[in-house]
Amino acid sequence: MLVALKIKRFDPERKPAAWWSNYKLEAAPGDRVLDLLVRAKDELDGSLTFRRSCAHGICGSDAMRINGTNRLACKTLVRELGSRITVEPLLGMRVEKDLVVDMEPFLASYRSVKPYLINDEPLPADGRERRQSPAERLRFDDTTKCILCGCCTAACPVFWADGEYVGPAAIVQAHRFLFDSRDRGAGEHTAALLDMKGVWRCRTIFQCTLSCPREIKITQAIAEVKQAIVLGK
Amino acid sequence: MPARAPSPAPLRRSWLTVAWTLMRLSAILLVPLVWGHVIIQDMLVGVHKISLDYVAMRWASLGWRAYDAALLCFAFAHGSNGLRQVLEDYIHGQTARRILRVALFLFWLSITALGAAAVIGGVRQ
Repeated sequence: MLVALKIKRFDPERKPAAWWSNYKLEAAPGDRVLDLLVRAKDELDGSLTFRRSCAHGICGSDAMRINGTNRLACKTLVRELGSRITVEPLLGMRVEKDLVVDMEPFLASYRSVKPYLINDEPLPADGRERRQSPAERLRFDDTTKCILCGCCTAACPVFWADGEYVGPAAIVQAHRFLFDSRDRGAGEHTAALLDMKGVWRCRTIFQCTLSCPREIKITQAIAEVKQAIVLGK
Repeated sequence: MPARAPSPAPLRRSWLTVAWTLMRLSAILLVPLVWGHVIIQDMLVGVHKISLDYVAMRWASLGWRAYDAALLCFAFAHGSNGLRQVLEDYIHGQTARRILRVALFLFWLSITALGAAAVIGGVRQ
């Protein structure tokens, strides 16, 4: 099938404003949007710029807005979209070039929740691992699936309105450690979530949940974080 | 590298935690309060039949005064806090936000005080 691929371009060294490039490509229904982008770059326009790494939905580097929805280009098939495909960079983030956005503020929000196990208690008597039951592990299983692609945060209207908001991805990471039975740093994980940048800005719009390529129940995780703070866990 | 704070670090709250919680609690209270008000005033009594006699009859009851005062208090607090949240999406400066919060609080306080004075105090004959 012939696919009309429309890509939002930006290169401050060439033009001050963004523009659209249109390409016509032969594609199979099972091709991924990433395949089309690679072919457009290789065969039609070498200046087209985008991020991709693993190309299998694990690294999260090729998150972009495809036909109006944030998705991973490597997990989105042509047959899901039809013959007209529009690709834009993620919204709410500064565009560096074409589909490449500045992820640093997003990663700064991620770091602000201290996304690592905090436990200064002595190790168990056997000196080995801190054990937890399957049920305790299951409690935060969903939020371990996050790959930090940014689809959720860049889909959040609150984040669009105020880029200071830490965004759903950072709260998901706080959830992952807040509900880990081995963790003792609840106050440290949530300290960055208490002010105007934090969890209370969430309006339960569900855009994050709808756009997550890993199908994490993000809005539920955010609600659980709010509940934990209100009830003192 | 600075030493990490000793764990366990307990969960803390902020004034936004309190504002968020009050928003939920007032919403739960508003469901019976607003529906009761709408059903009684608009459907059972009817807005065209609300007269001075009807108002005087409600004023004579301490229960209705408490009901109306609660409705005023929770509805206006809920609305004012909602307005703060919406406006803070557009107002990003810390000083401007502080002014907004104080202005909204004074607005809420003055309207609630005036309304409560009328609902609870009644009118002089």
